[in-house]
Amino acid sequence: MLFNSLSFIVFLIIVLALYYSKLFNWTGKKRMLLFASYVFYGLWNPPLVILLWISTGVDWITGKKLATEENQRKRKLWLLLSMCVNLGFLGFFKYRDFLLDNFTTVVNTYGYGYQSQPMDIILPMGISFYTFQTMSYTIDMYLKRTERAKTFLDFALYVTFFPQLVAGPIVRAGDLITQFYEEKKATVNQFIWGLFLLTLGLFQKVVMADTLLSDTVDKVYSADKVLNFWDAWMGTLAFSGQIFFDFAGYSTCAIGIALMLGIILPDNFKYPYASLGFSDLWKRWHITLSSWLRDYLYIPLGGNRHGIVRMYSALMLTMLLGGLWHGAAWTFIVWGGLHGTYLILERLQRHYIPFKITAWNGMFLAFTTFTCVNITWVFFRAKEFKTAWNMIGSMFYLNPEGAKILGSFDILKVGIIIGLLFICHWFMRNTSVEAVSKKTHPWALGAVWAAMFFLIAIAQGSGEQFIYFQF
Amino acid sequence: MQLKQTLIIAFALSVISITAWELFWRSQGLYPTLDDNEALWAMQRSRVETATSNDMLLMGSSRVLFDIQLNEWEAQTGIRPIQLASVGSSPLPIFHDVVNNTKFNGTILVGVTPGLFFSTTSPKAQPWQWPQTKVDYYKKRTYAQISNHLLSLPLQKNLAFLSDDQGVDGIKLKELLGKINVGNRVIDSMPPFHEFGEIAQDRNNVMKQITVTDTAYANSIIKVWQFFMKKAASGPPPDKISTMAFFLKDLKTFKARGGNTILVRSPSSGSLRFGENMGVPRVKFWDDLVKQSNLKAYHFEDYDQLKDLKCPEESHLSAKDARYFTTELVKIMKADGAFSNLKTN
Repeated sequence: MLFNSLSFIVFLIIVLALYYSKLFNWTGKKRMLLFASYVFYGLWNPPLVILLWISTGVDWITGKKLATEENQRKRKLWLLLSMCVNLGFLGFFKYRDFLLDNFTTVVNTYGYGYQSQPMDIILPMGISFYTFQTMSYTIDMYLKRTERAKTFLDFALYVTFFPQLVAGPIVRAGDLITQFYEEKKATVNQFIWGLFLLTLGLFQKVVMADTLLSDTVDKVYSADKVLNFWDAWMGTLAFSGQIFFDFAGYSTCAIGIALMLGIILPDNFKYPYASLGFSDLWKRWHITLSSWLRDYLYIPLGGNRHGIVRMYSALMLTMLLGGLWHGAAWTFIVWGGLHGTYLILERLQRHYIPFKITAWNGMFLAFTTFTCVNITWVFFRAKEFKTAWNMIGSMFYLNPEGAKILGSFDILKVGIIIGLLFICHWFMRNTSVEAVSKKTHPWALGAVWAAMFFLIAIAQGSGEQFIYFQF
Repeated sequence: MQLKQTLIIAFALSVISITAWELFWRSQGLYPTLDDNEALWAMQRSRVETATSNDMLLMGSSRVLFDIQLNEWEAQTGIRPIQLASVGSSPLPIFHDVVNNTKFNGTILVGVTPGLFFSTTSPKAQPWQWPQTKVDYYKKRTYAQISNHLLSLPLQKNLAFLSDDQGVDGIKLKELLGKINVGNRVIDSMPPFHEFGEIAQDRNNVMKQITVTDTAYANSIIKVWQFFMKKAASGPPPDKISTMAFFLKDLKTFKARGGNTILVRSPSSGSLRFGENMGVPRVKFWDDLVKQSNLKAYHFEDYDQLKDLKCPEESHLSAKDARYFTTELVKIMKADGAFSNLKTN
């Protein structure tokens, strides 16, 4: 089920009515939330709920064993079981065809003439998110960093909690399961603020991403010709806006919906396009994934504890796998590799040519970071390398005779939206929507809220899927 | 934060602004209409799963959609047909879907708009891609999509501002912004296109009366047909061999399980008919199709009561003429014994 759909509005109203009714005690409410979460997921593809059940069951049993088992070897085996099941699902459903394609290519370079049979398997929505979330629980249990979930119901709800089930934020057990132990009820202010965040998230998705930017992106990235400088840049800038509004929109909705239930979810985006460098970017973009990758991949790979070479290798490997997490294609791996390269170059710069960031060079640094991020988005968005290279060539003015496919208004529209987005991120980088709202007069905030609602209504989203669902 | 106050203000302003927006568009002559989208098509397609040998399906392009009226058909046959025609489409992907993915063995009327029927079997070409998108949507639609559609119907039926029209008649935010034209960096040579049909929940479609009464409105649509004809003339030629072979293969399967197929060529007029006669001449295309398929086939030119019908925008019949056309066509077909599967016949 999509947040930007009529079914979801009805679904949410029913869930809220049951949640705040006196029909259930707290355990009953949690059962209702769990059932609702399965309905939320199952209305997309009912049989795939079984994957959720298996993942939940395996990690519950693993967590239970890890809580009591002292034998290190046995503990490792339990951890391995959980990893195999979760990564096995991910590998089978998400990476099988990719691995098979590459295997076929390699084998055929030696003249074997092997023909692979793609299975055309459906990718379970949000599989990358919930597997990472359950894995974090098991790894934390193994490392004795978190307490075992008190009941199976609490754990199952942690894995399946519908606001963040299919596209995050990826929440750690310690941050979410513990919230289920005692009855939660939103205060009136929390409820209204949650509703505001839901509207803001839908505005980002329906109006900004789908209505104002997606057509330009699709037109540019589906053009089967070499494009003009402006068209290539505007298509890429539009994508940078689209993916931010799409994904940040989802996270904002998730946080808002959870808040309406009295549950607090962590921030996932903090104005990433005004980042001062790439370390800063990854503290602001998809924060819950980057902290997951840091804690469960980069640090176990050695982090910065074993010298420079090992550190840079760990960093690069983390980013390459981070790229692969987003999609089973080499273009995503290149995207991750570029980010890894940027992070390494930034660390080298800090070491060899350090400088102090001021208000003046900060803006320039943010702009440079944003520009470099846009280069990486080309590989993220392009379906194949040929398109990506053509786009990069055009963006570096190597194709001055490239085709013009965007109208002047499209260019103007994207330029204004992305310009405002960058400026907005710059001014908001050290604050939050909540802090700004507190300083805003109720009439002004009410008018902004109404304007967002009105624009959502007249944009009438066609219920386009969130981009990150496919990851 | 005074959030209660903020919420009240936001709610009041939202109600006021949306009401004003609805009233504004109604004052401009708009009224609530349904969107002829994949979801609406899929609801009809789902009926095929339980259809019996007595049932009838309509397939083809917009000419079948506009020209065959379900009420008149039902009045003549006692059976309300399932409307599966799709605008700008070749009927082949939908025929292929029904033949290969269902057990249906009733009657299928296939509308033959020569420029579309014989156009292509390429999956990426628009006459193929559009209907195939509908077929794929039906196969993959989720329970959430079904419930979204069902929930959207009462809203679509009651709110004019939810119109999903595109182009010059579009009033969604995206469409309104699309009408803003700055400079001439990229020239869009396609003339403005008006939506000239209204569809019901069972996909019974009628031409808007303005197309009949306003010549300028009708002429603007004719310009679009002329644009497409020019485009087609400079594009690849009709792929008669592939399209015929594709159709005949499916037809063989359908006949083998007792299915009955009828071919119909609906009226066209003016420059469009002239262009069709030049580009896809009857003898070479229609007559050969009828001969090779060995089906009951009805070309409007062959019947005195149909041959002089005029299409206001050269391609589709007005609501009144469509009712007449349907009634007369069914009478002709019944007299000819075309409904061989109809047990009540």
